[in-house]
Amino acid sequence: MSEKKYWKGLEELYNTPSYQKTVRNEFREELPFGEIDELMKAKTPRRDFLKYLGFSITAATIAASCEIQVRKVIPYVNKPVDITPGVPNYYASTYVQDGDYCPVVVKTREGRPIKIEGNTSSSITRGGTSAMVQASVLSLYDTARLRYPMIEGKEATWEELDKAVTQGLANLGGAPIVLLTTTLMSPATEQLIQEFSQKYPGTRHITYDAVSYAGMLLANEASYGKRAIPSYHFEHAKAIVSLGADFLGTWLSPVEFASQYAQTRKIKGKKADLSQHIQFESYMSLTGANADYRYTHRPSQLPVIVLNLYNAVAQAMGKPQLANVPALNEEALQKGIQRAAKLLASHPGEALVVCGSNNPQIQILVNGINEMLGAGGKTIDWNAPVNYRKGIDADMQQLVADMEAGKIGALLIYGANPVYDYYDGQRFANALKKVALTVSFNERRDETTVLCRYVAPDHHYLESWGDAEPKTGYYSFIQPTIFPLFKTRAFQESLMAWMGNPQPDWHAYLMKFWEPKLGGLEAWEQALQNGVIEPQQSNLAGLPFKGDVQAAAAQLLANQPKPGELELVLYEKVGIRGGRWANNPWLQEMPDPISKCTWDNYVCISPALAWKLGISINRFNENDLNRPVARIAAGGKEVSLPVLVLPGMPKDVVAVAVGYGRSAEVGKAAGGVGKNAYPWVSLNAQNQTFEYYQPAVSLTLTGETYPLAITQTHNSFEGRPIILETTQRQYNEDPGEATREQREERERYGGENYATQGTLYPNIFDFPGLKWGMSIDLNSCIGCGACTIACQAENNVAVVGKDQVLAHHEMHWIRIDRYFSGDPENPQVVFQPMLCQQCDNAPCENVCPVAATNHSDEGLNQMVYNRCIGTRYCMNNCPYKVRRFNWRDWQGADSFADNLKDTADMNSDLTRMVLNPDVTVRGRGVMEKCSFCVQRLQDAKLAAKKAGRPLLDGEAMTACQQACPTQAIVFGNVHDAGAAISQIREENKDTRLYYVLDDLHTLPNVNYLVKVVNKDPEDFYVEPVQHVL
Amino acid sequence: MLHYESTVREPLVNGSKDYHQVTEDIISPLEKKPGKLWWIALGFALTMLLFGVWSVFWETYWGIGVWGENRTVGWAWDITNFVWWVGIGHAGTLISAILLLFRQGWRTGVNRAAEAMTIFAVLCAGQFPVWHMGRVWLAFFILPYPNSRGPLWVNFNSPLLWDVFAVSTYLTVSILFWYSGLIPDVATIRDRAKKKFAKWFYGICSFGWRGTAKEWQRLEALALLLAGLSTPLVLSVHSVVSMDFATSVIPGWHETIFPPYFVAGAIFSGFAMVQTLLILTRKILHLEDYVTLGHIEAMNKIIMLTGGIVAMAYITELFIAWYSNVVYEQGAFWWRIFGPYWWAYIILITCNVVSPQLFWFKKLRRNIPFTFVMSIVVNIGMWFERFVIIVLSLYHDFMPSAWVYYSPRWPELGFYIGTFGLFFTCYLIFAKYFPVIAVWEIRSVLKRSGESYKQQMVAIEQKTTEEFMQEVQHEHAVAAH
Repeated sequence: MSEKKYWKGLEELYNTPSYQKTVRNEFREELPFGEIDELMKAKTPRRDFLKYLGFSITAATIAASCEIQVRKVIPYVNKPVDITPGVPNYYASTYVQDGDYCPVVVKTREGRPIKIEGNTSSSITRGGTSAMVQASVLSLYDTARLRYPMIEGKEATWEELDKAVTQGLANLGGAPIVLLTTTLMSPATEQLIQEFSQKYPGTRHITYDAVSYAGMLLANEASYGKRAIPSYHFEHAKAIVSLGADFLGTWLSPVEFASQYAQTRKIKGKKADLSQHIQFESYMSLTGANADYRYTHRPSQLPVIVLNLYNAVAQAMGKPQLANVPALNEEALQKGIQRAAKLLASHPGEALVVCGSNNPQIQILVNGINEMLGAGGKTIDWNAPVNYRKGIDADMQQLVADMEAGKIGALLIYGANPVYDYYDGQRFANALKKVALTVSFNERRDETTVLCRYVAPDHHYLESWGDAEPKTGYYSFIQPTIFPLFKTRAFQESLMAWMGNPQPDWHAYLMKFWEPKLGGLEAWEQALQNGVIEPQQSNLAGLPFKGDVQAAAAQLLANQPKPGELELVLYEKVGIRGGRWANNPWLQEMPDPISKCTWDNYVCISPALAWKLGISINRFNENDLNRPVARIAAGGKEVSLPVLVLPGMPKDVVAVAVGYGRSAEVGKAAGGVGKNAYPWVSLNAQNQTFEYYQPAVSLTLTGETYPLAITQTHNSFEGRPIILETTQRQYNEDPGEATREQREERERYGGENYATQGTLYPNIFDFPGLKWGMSIDLNSCIGCGACTIACQAENNVAVVGKDQVLAHHEMHWIRIDRYFSGDPENPQVVFQPMLCQQCDNAPCENVCPVAATNHSDEGLNQMVYNRCIGTRYCMNNCPYKVRRFNWRDWQGADSFADNLKDTADMNSDLTRMVLNPDVTVRGRGVMEKCSFCVQRLQDAKLAAKKAGRPLLDGEAMTACQQACPTQAIVFGNVHDAGAAISQIREENKDTRLYYVLDDLHTLPNVNYLVKVVNKDPEDFYVEPVQHVL
Repeated sequence: MLHYESTVREPLVNGSKDYHQVTEDIISPLEKKPGKLWWIALGFALTMLLFGVWSVFWETYWGIGVWGENRTVGWAWDITNFVWWVGIGHAGTLISAILLLFRQGWRTGVNRAAEAMTIFAVLCAGQFPVWHMGRVWLAFFILPYPNSRGPLWVNFNSPLLWDVFAVSTYLTVSILFWYSGLIPDVATIRDRAKKKFAKWFYGICSFGWRGTAKEWQRLEALALLLAGLSTPLVLSVHSVVSMDFATSVIPGWHETIFPPYFVAGAIFSGFAMVQTLLILTRKILHLEDYVTLGHIEAMNKIIMLTGGIVAMAYITELFIAWYSNVVYEQGAFWWRIFGPYWWAYIILITCNVVSPQLFWFKKLRRNIPFTFVMSIVVNIGMWFERFVIIVLSLYHDFMPSAWVYYSPRWPELGFYIGTFGLFFTCYLIFAKYFPVIAVWEIRSVLKRSGESYKQQMVAIEQKTTEEFMQEVQHEHAVAAH
């Protein structure tokens, strides 16, 4: 063995002294026990430290978790058969209120109604809805609804109430009971009322309509022997003349008429054959805005206009004329009459004249004109008279007189609110005190209800059973979509209870009523499921005319109203109408289609009158929403209202909307908004009918200002090619003219390949599967705003309140741009629904620093709320200005506590039940915008996937599309060549199809179709207002 | 003879100074206790700052809706102020970087204050893009950091993201530049300090500077390097800021001339701000000898030049709008000038184009009160320039239906006032505890450009060449002995 030496280091090898020292003292240092001792003796030794740490973290966790609000989700113990969380159920029902009728389909989620759709089975509305119908779901969750019966303003039980009322009714001592309602169209309810009057003999049922059609009813009685209103068929009319009837917005049955009217305004192919529509009116109505020709007049001129029109038509048709008709002294009106007469006379059997007047003589003359034109059986159907309005004004006046005379024993008020909307509401209120027993069935403490001794609140219609007969032979059913939220009771059950029925059951009554008529339970259930029953085929028919036009004319001439220098006309706004749903924040915040004003009524005046008053709305101050206030005195009543200068108003007429000025108890949204204009309704002494104008008005500026929350202040599109219009003649001569410039521009940059050729950066997305597209026909859009509210309901769009609309913080995802052009005193109007254009080359997408908005492979411009940090860059860079920022915490979805901005009670637990659970409620500080209802698209795709087939056209609909009464919006998959959207685009590609701001190469997925007006080009020609440097 | 500079050239340091005197003049005010005026000024600045904090708190708590911005005008005072403050910063960098590279001696008198101004201005500017966010607590989303959300990255296409990089780089480089230049002077203060705290504080701040040749050499090298780095920044930062607008589609924003236009405007406003600050500082700290009329005039000349460039840009904008024949472009400018905000455009033109023309008069260029007023006028003008570009382009863009007016509300005003508070708080503290004039850099030009030294040259300059040469040769000969 060799002595091989292994060494660890040179020190060891050479065995240096230092190494030796190291070896000797291997553990040369003291072990650091001292330090450990110190550590162990420390106030907080290591183990204790860990203990403390553990304790404090646990304590902090528990303490912190205590602060978190616990929201319980309780599963069903026994799951109802039909309710699956996350899966909506749909129930057919009917919106019936004050004679307004709309068959609907109600979407419920987890047992809550959240959205109203039109019922497409109905031939009356064809699936259309109005803003009011769309918004009615929110009224179900209105916090101001009555929650229990009341006796003298105090909560009571139904037993107490029934006992008291029954006793009261028994002790009337022969004084009659009066049931005061708005128009009812329920056959079963009418039978019940019959039974009630049998039980209590002498009971009278009086129908009262605040906005009355008594003139028509009386005129028709005189003309045709029927106190009824016929069905109108605008779809068969090639010539439409309306004398102040706002049939697209507020008159009688606007959803129905809009749908009919739009059928005559659609263009198929390269030949347009539109109806021509001439409107005579005293204010700027939605219908007037859509008319081809529009003539304005003072309301007191209407009789002369009707007489002249009668004679002009008679002359053209070779019929006898009326005698002693004074000539119209205005050239424009004369021309209008001539034009209208010529139009009507050249379309016998295809013409329709409607009139909004409540004067029976005028309506008799209108009937006479329609008779000459052969409208009966063609555009007017007496086979199916409508039940929309039945109120006779004289009955109401008689009632008030009887009440004052103490002749009325009991007054049961259902639906009506005369203290507010009767022309002499104060008189009614005083008369009410003389009635021993007063009951209100109204759903809130409205102006009349607060004065009633007993309040027996009715259900909301979404909680109710019911039926309706809108037209003779047409039936419609109402079924509850939710268990009553409060201790309310059907009006009918109250009647039954007071008839001595201890267990009133309106549902059973209704079934008993209908089952035999329909043929059994199965048929009843089928009827409920379908929602409507309609005659197999309807033959239109007229009635022999036996009206005395000469007498009517003579009467009119004898009682000619004295023309005033300045006249006042009252009108209904499309959103608020008579004021029934004034407490609906969606409707209050809906911009009026014409004035674009929210949250108020005001006095509309013409630019000429404004000029005279020294008000100048010009480009420098049009954005200043503090508008002058005027004191308006008419008929002995004086009210101060803000002035809104509205092009299209006649220069000697001012207009004020009814439906505002509700009492605070009506609700937070309605209370104190605007002024009540009903006191200006006057009584036509000769006919005992209401007149909705005042002939002598004085208007003086007070010098004060008042902020009006207007959403669109610039009225001109400045000749910019965002709106393309043409006339029918020009279109038929050269269908491609209007869009030629845009097409040629595209041609220059690749034509079909514009998407890739028109840019330096051709990395446009690939869309392998579906690609969504929308087409909006400007010719069909009447600007009613149903889409705006439908979108608000579907997408949980926040209500921001008046002060925030004033700050231009409104949130609507789809707005209707309304542009005037031409003569400011009588402009042409065009409506353009504007929503996110879902650009394929979206300016918003590339500027977001955090990629919170991006593109889907289906062509959707998506918003990722969670990712959004709110730089608002996308909003700035959106050329369409459709992005909406959550400026405040509107809906309680914020990270901060107690900073809610809610002026309209939209965030109570009750109101929040209306929220669509499929759509995120956006927090403060994030951007939002139209999503093309992506949740609906996903639903439809899933359904198709489950069925194992491709998505069919029409399965995915956006809310705006579905709500539209005129089907102006078409939506679908553009990759499906058979889809309606593809066909429309193919059909119109060289004619009416255009994209807004196409030259920016944003590549929108929304296209518009050129508006074609049936007007002579020389009348249509509008000098474009174009500013150059 | 190495440091000879013609007497025709104005001296950069007035009076008869030696190195020690320079130090005394500049450093000794820092060693005194702050005066009453300083406390009042600081109190005022802090009040403004506090009001700003309150305004920002208010806006953050209630939401951006408490501002006057709306669905059409999504940016207004916030981004106007951001661009304005960033622009102001530019003069500092220009002075310290570009003028250093060009060997402009006069920069020594003003560079320290200008650099400090840059940093404080950028700090103020940075507040706006942060606090204008709807959800500021998620501001970190804007940073590209590895994350578990996919990972989800920022959008590198967005100019707003470029801003984040540009401004943060700018701030970093500016701080480095400013602080490295400050070190020798801080060391001087440390060496003179008598109090324990001051010794300790300035000791730490001076990073152990000893003034060795090696250290000086490295400092000079670093300064040159940083100057090289910052020079492109002077151009890039405001170019990037301008791209927030230039890359958009909004008429009035979408303009290719924006980068040079914005850079010129930034320098224009930056120099005006330097004037404002220095005219006050030289007066209060009695530094008239170091910040001379010559300095002020030199800066006024730059203001004139950049004002001219800006005016050219305004004319180009208008011309192109007309020439383009694009209705939206023409509309934007028509409404800019003839719309309800016409007065903003008038202010802009008056302040930025008309009034700087007065500087053609030498008397006015060298008039201190006039310069002071002009410096403020220019900054008002430049504020309105940004306001006009941002608000007056948005308020009347493509869709006439969306046209609005915009008026600010108090929290917006408060925020702006708050940034003034922040700026002046920082500047007052800086001016009290750090030398506002770079002592060592003044020393480097003293013997070449100082008044007393130049006077010695007068005798030489009066000699003929022959006399001079003879004298020099003579002196050389003596020296050789």
